[in-house]
Amino acid sequence: MTGPKRGRVGLAARLRGVDTVFRRELATVARTPGYAALAVGLGVALFGVVAVGGGGATGFVPAIVDLLLPVEALVPAAAVVLGYRAFLADAATGELAVIRTYPVGVASYVAGVLLARLVALAVVVGGPAALVGVYVGLTAAPDTGIFATHAGVDSPLLYVRFLAFVFGLGAAYLSVAAGVSAIASSRRSAIALGALVLVGGVLGGDLALLESLSAGTSAAATPDLLALTPNGAFRGLVFEHVIGVAFAPETDFVPTGRALASLAGWTLGGAVGGGASIALGRRVDAAIERVRSDE
Amino acid sequence: MFDPYRDRSGRALAALLLFALALAVATGAAFAADPSDAAPSPVAYDDVVELGLSSETDALMAGDATLPRVQVFYSQLQYVVGYNGVESFASALAADRTERQFGYPIAAYVETFDSSRPGVTDEGLFAAELAGEWTPASEAVYVVGSAARSPAGETVVPFRDRDAAAAFVDDHGGAVIGWETLRGRSFDTDTAAVVRETAPRRWSEADRRIASAERRSDRPVSVVVGEDAPTIQAAVDDAPPDTTVVVPPGTYEETVAITKSVTVSGGGTGVDNGSQSGATRLRGDGNGSVLTVRAPNVSVTGLRISGTGTQTRDPEAASRPPEAGEAWDTNIRLGYGHGDAGVKAIGASGLFVDDVTIDTEASGLLLREGSDAVVRGLRVDGTEEWQDGFMGIVGMQSRVTVTDSAFVGGRDGVYLHRADGSVVRDSSFAGNRYGTHLMYTGETLIADNAFRNETFGGITVMTRPAGNAIVGNDVRDSGAGIQASGTRTYVGYNTLADNDLGFSTSARGSLYEHNVAANNGLGARATTVVPSSRVVANDFVGNDVHADAGPGALRVWADDDRGNYWEGADVSAELGLAAPGERAYRPTAPVDAALAREPAAILASESPAATLLDRLRGTVPGARTGGILDPAPSPEPHAPERAAAATDPDGGPVYGDWRGRSDNGTAEPDDATAEVAA
Repeated sequence: MTGPKRGRVGLAARLRGVDTVFRRELATVARTPGYAALAVGLGVALFGVVAVGGGGATGFVPAIVDLLLPVEALVPAAAVVLGYRAFLADAATGELAVIRTYPVGVASYVAGVLLARLVALAVVVGGPAALVGVYVGLTAAPDTGIFATHAGVDSPLLYVRFLAFVFGLGAAYLSVAAGVSAIASSRRSAIALGALVLVGGVLGGDLALLESLSAGTSAAATPDLLALTPNGAFRGLVFEHVIGVAFAPETDFVPTGRALASLAGWTLGGAVGGGASIALGRRVDAAIERVRSDE
Repeated sequence: MFDPYRDRSGRALAALLLFALALAVATGAAFAADPSDAAPSPVAYDDVVELGLSSETDALMAGDATLPRVQVFYSQLQYVVGYNGVESFASALAADRTERQFGYPIAAYVETFDSSRPGVTDEGLFAAELAGEWTPASEAVYVVGSAARSPAGETVVPFRDRDAAAAFVDDHGGAVIGWETLRGRSFDTDTAAVVRETAPRRWSEADRRIASAERRSDRPVSVVVGEDAPTIQAAVDDAPPDTTVVVPPGTYEETVAITKSVTVSGGGTGVDNGSQSGATRLRGDGNGSVLTVRAPNVSVTGLRISGTGTQTRDPEAASRPPEAGEAWDTNIRLGYGHGDAGVKAIGASGLFVDDVTIDTEASGLLLREGSDAVVRGLRVDGTEEWQDGFMGIVGMQSRVTVTDSAFVGGRDGVYLHRADGSVVRDSSFAGNRYGTHLMYTGETLIADNAFRNETFGGITVMTRPAGNAIVGNDVRDSGAGIQASGTRTYVGYNTLADNDLGFSTSARGSLYEHNVAANNGLGARATTVVPSSRVVANDFVGNDVHADAGPGALRVWADDDRGNYWEGADVSAELGLAAPGERAYRPTAPVDAALAREPAAILASESPAATLLDRLRGTVPGARTGGILDPAPSPEPHAPERAAAATDPDGGPVYGDWRGRSDNGTAEPDDATAEVAA
């Protein structure tokens, strides 16, 4: 954390730093029973949606149609839960102060923590979602066997695509929530900030789009604007590359590159923001302290 | 347990990395592969779900003609769809509905006839001696505008090889085009909407037939029974053709055979003037039929007939499979066409039965072998238990026009077998097994009839005929209201109340509109596995269950923004939760079904969970199983007066205003239904 003083650090050393933080963070995650409960809860919710929705009875695509909107709320929630204390915990317990005495840069620290949290996300969200996919794959069948049937475009590959987008959506929220947690000063404020990220992301982006449309933004700009928010990008990608496969080929929901860049951008942005506030936070504190003592 | 601090956790980490790599590769592969690339191979045509033209018209069933067939694998639909007639498929592709409901075709195969010895029958129908081969539609070539036709009109004949197509053109004319050109052409395929347009014309056509029968039967009197001849039979024998035999009131105990074109005119059935003594009664001996007609243009009027035999059909013939060289339905014809009846007509075209009452132990009027008949003011009293008797009218290969008649008891009121173009209207039916029962009979009009207490159902159309119009009927207190199979059927403006089942949507490519289903156990039942019909602007009121669905893809019951009225579905609009008609209604969903009886269910259906699930439900309907979705339920009943009349226990029959007429006619005096109600 005192990079400038120590001069240039070799890549190997940086990676070692990432590795160390990553392992430590994984251990933290693995020892938090709440995350296992989260995975179970998410699994129950997803299975419930598929069971009640009924789409899973016939194939992956209708199952994804059922899952799409609930997932847009459930996955960000799980991601925020995984991320809202990522950087706060170390700061609050004083461990961050200890870590600063080791040769670990801010970037390595942030990367290590986030990578471990992303692995946790893959397990907590991806696990139940993948299980739902396996369940659909094993149980989906046509209503009646008296006629010849075929799968149409329905395929497990489409579900894998869906899982990839789900992970992308979760990663964006996790990273932003973690980044915001770096500026929290207490657990309570971390919860408040996490909730803000969740509500702002799940509702705010789409509300802003609706507002801008009613303010006179051209409808033709909708796909581009939609791709800017994590939820819009996710929904667009699912329609474009999963559900849309069952539509006639010419449908165009969202620019794929832009949507992917948006998800990646939110993920990176969260990481950079978190890193910046960790790096600068102490100086800001110090500056404030100086201003106070000068008074 | 994974311990990141152990020295060898490097291995675990490596394994984790490998796993992540595998996931990444799988994900990459999922995006690299195109699921729409997998083109399935053709299946046996018997296993497809058929749409398009009926394959069970007379010519096709008899095996003379061939319909080029298509089988299609749609992107969203799990079932393989078969089209009879390439033009049916081409029109389906042109229709927006197809893509919305089934997605796009990922593979389509047409039957090509290169080595099937294709030709044209004497009637101009396309025929092939051998079965065709399946060829991808885009690779085949098509002969259009040739002499070959289908029972429905123009037909396109596909070939795999351009030379074979050219050879066919040399023999039968036309031109050879490719798939893309064919897709761009529009075909004049009949739809149920066309049937709707022709219904009033069929009504007028019936008027013409009746008027013409009246004119024919108005003949000079030649013989008066009792004055010029001792018996009716003697009088008929004496009378020159084209004259009238007058049968004064009284009771005549004899059986009569008419073999020349005469009018037999009795004094009446004794109903009109209220005195039975004024009636002319013809009483048979309890064996065989009472009156047998074997000549064209015979009229029988003003008679009360009784004393039929009890044989309902030829039991041996009915169960015997057809022998080589015989028509496919010989057993039915021989079996059903050979029972006892009050009036039996064989090859008697132009028969006019007017103001006749028949009390029968078997059939009332039996018509076969082209006995195209006009029946007016006929009343048939059958047996109390339907198992004991037979049909009010049996029409075998005879085009029948029935008006102002009544059928009480017995098996079926009117049973028509291969009786295309028949009309049954303004009549009443009560206490039968089925009221009107059509087999292999298309292009009919069943209009403005009333049915009560029918054990199995009011109107049933079996097998798969095409182009029937079932309009303005009123069926109550019966097993089922209307069950019509076939294609291009128009079921409109019917009123179905207090039945176990209102109507079923068994006919495909059909139109069900402006029907009122009130107070039935089940309002409507969707039966076809692949939805191909339109069900719009119907009113569902007071049913225990408004609608349910058999196996198959999700049925969307609306036409763009025009749906049906479902009592209870308007709760959300009433509460201001949604604009009228904005919230989709699923009669097959438990919570929406509950809305019909329990308005509080709205709180469950408005929950975020239900809303999230319902929002996208209409997407990929073909891939989704089961149920009915009305995306735009109507906020108001379409026919509130008819719904109110249907639910009025003391109300008489109501006839839907299918021709846009103003007089909502009431039942005729001789109303079978009134008797049952009383």
